[in-house]
Amino acid sequence: MAGMAKTLVIDPVTRIEGHGKVVIELDDDRNVIDAKLHVVEFRGYEKFIQGHPYWEAPVLMQRICGICFVSHHLGGAKALDDMIGVGPASGTSLTPTAIKMRRLGHYAQMLQSHVTAYFYLVVPEMLFGIDAAPEQRNLIGLIEANPGLIKRVVRLRKWGQEVIAAVFGKRMHGLSAVPGGVNKSLTAADVNRLLRGEDGLSSIDEVIDDAQLGLQMFYDFHDEHRAQVDGFANVSALNMCLVDDDGNVDYYDGRLRVVDEQKKLIREFDYRDYLDHFSEGVEKWTYMKFPFLTDLGRDAGSVRVGPLARLNVTRGLSTPIAAEALEKFHAYTGGRANNMTLHTNWARTIEIIHAAEVVRDLLNDPDLQKDDLVVSPGADAWTGEGVGVVEAPRGSLLHHYRADREGNITFANLIVATTQNNQVLNRTVRSVAEDYLGGQAEITEGMMNAIEVGIRAYDPCLSCATHALGQMPLVVTVVDSQGRVLDERAR
Amino acid sequence: MSARAEPHRVSLGLFDNPTSLIYGIGNAGRQDDGLGWAFIDRIEQIHPRPRARLRRTYQLGLEDADLISRYTRVLFVDATKDPAVESFNLSLPEPRLDFSFTSHAISVPSILATTQQCFDHVPDAYMLAIRGYEWELQQGLTGPAQHNLSHSLEFLSRPR
Repeated sequence: MAGMAKTLVIDPVTRIEGHGKVVIELDDDRNVIDAKLHVVEFRGYEKFIQGHPYWEAPVLMQRICGICFVSHHLGGAKALDDMIGVGPASGTSLTPTAIKMRRLGHYAQMLQSHVTAYFYLVVPEMLFGIDAAPEQRNLIGLIEANPGLIKRVVRLRKWGQEVIAAVFGKRMHGLSAVPGGVNKSLTAADVNRLLRGEDGLSSIDEVIDDAQLGLQMFYDFHDEHRAQVDGFANVSALNMCLVDDDGNVDYYDGRLRVVDEQKKLIREFDYRDYLDHFSEGVEKWTYMKFPFLTDLGRDAGSVRVGPLARLNVTRGLSTPIAAEALEKFHAYTGGRANNMTLHTNWARTIEIIHAAEVVRDLLNDPDLQKDDLVVSPGADAWTGEGVGVVEAPRGSLLHHYRADREGNITFANLIVATTQNNQVLNRTVRSVAEDYLGGQAEITEGMMNAIEVGIRAYDPCLSCATHALGQMPLVVTVVDSQGRVLDERAR
Repeated sequence: MSARAEPHRVSLGLFDNPTSLIYGIGNAGRQDDGLGWAFIDRIEQIHPRPRARLRRTYQLGLEDADLISRYTRVLFVDATKDPAVESFNLSLPEPRLDFSFTSHAISVPSILATTQQCFDHVPDAYMLAIRGYEWELQQGLTGPAQHNLSHSLEFLSRPR
């Protein structure tokens, strides 16, 4: 076998949606010489939407996901606003009620999506450890170990879902945004119910309390496992998110800002001009592309998006409890960007709090109960092309459509957060592989799970398939450079 | 859970009160996967003002543990691919934490166990599984599935 490289394949073999596998190439001394994450993406949607009426885009494209469907709904709707001639480019704006209804639904989704990712998927590993038996290291183990926590988490997520249902009509794949606005506002009864709670539904004060659970759990875990958390997959990348005029993250709208590891501004631009700034690299071994800032090249110009990136970019947060937590987060790295992959979970807990606080403030805004829902520019405002970007829970999400004179879609391009994170995800996989797999004689369950932990920190779109219960079916195959199987391990 | 009626003694009358929930699980856009929802549709046609709470869902989520903890009796209705089920099967599911959880779905036994663990109350639960045959992206039940749906409703509508 002398001189033959070996390849490990960690391949989730059962899928609900999305598909990813990890290939780790080792040399004869079992040093990691390469690591790749392979992902199947959503290109089918971009094709089959063509020929459909433009207004169907936010309706159909949200079906991509059962978790962040609101982001796809709103990303598509913003693109259609642009297409019909509403927005900064034309000098017209949505009504305050429409903007606030969209924001309300968006932040409610941020809350419930982050709660799912953090408590259902990450906390079991924090509580039981990466090396714990799969039978314990899962949500079921958490239910048995701490039913009181799960009860509060269930009610927190449920409250987020109820806000989503109030805005979109139902908990999943509902409708609110239409080109130029929204189709309904809230009633006083809706608002009172969500603020005051009712039997089986938390009040907003309980929600704000429960929203702080995750941050405290992270602090406790971090205190006990500082070296492990801080040393896990410390990988560099530029950081990107939407920002407002003050340079603070705005999850619904704004300009795209990119900062480097010193938080120095690298780029800020109107997202409608993304094609002027980004190129996409292609590899034979994955369907997922590698976006990067064209002038910097793929290695230096790849960006990280999502919770860690957003808190690296933003100077502050607009709500008090989250703002205080952000100060501590920023202080930890002394003003530099935070590259510690597992601190993504820290950032996620701060965003849970921020989302709950923003939703509270919006529910107290009387504009949500007004009837001025839609602006309808004249036919001469029609541009036939639109781009929309929102900060989805996983990061910046872009929808871009063109339509013909009859209003039928002729072109669609989506850049989802997982695609933006492709390069940094691969860097993370390689870093973990080097630390956990390199030089080892035996591939253990804990090592394999460490790879998953690194991927899971990004909560990527394949996560639905990769996080189940810590008992994800895996096949690890060792092959030589000729592709011959040298070893195989399954669980 | 209190003593539940034996499956052969169960009728819809058992659920004709506001402390009961009839929960249709499935997806009407996937042919016979819509059996759970179609069951609810038929109940609404038969009883325009049902006293039981009727709900539909794509799949169970952990929040349903909270929901069902508020009822004394729950009838889950779902399609089944099991060839051992000739037309329909009514069973008494027991609380059991299994490995069914993903962020999208969780099994009936796991939901019952979560309710027991976290909410200190488990309703009397019944599971009606109706045999389906086709699961493609299409609306409408197949003929045999419609027959099974009618058969199950006929059985449950008989006075006991």
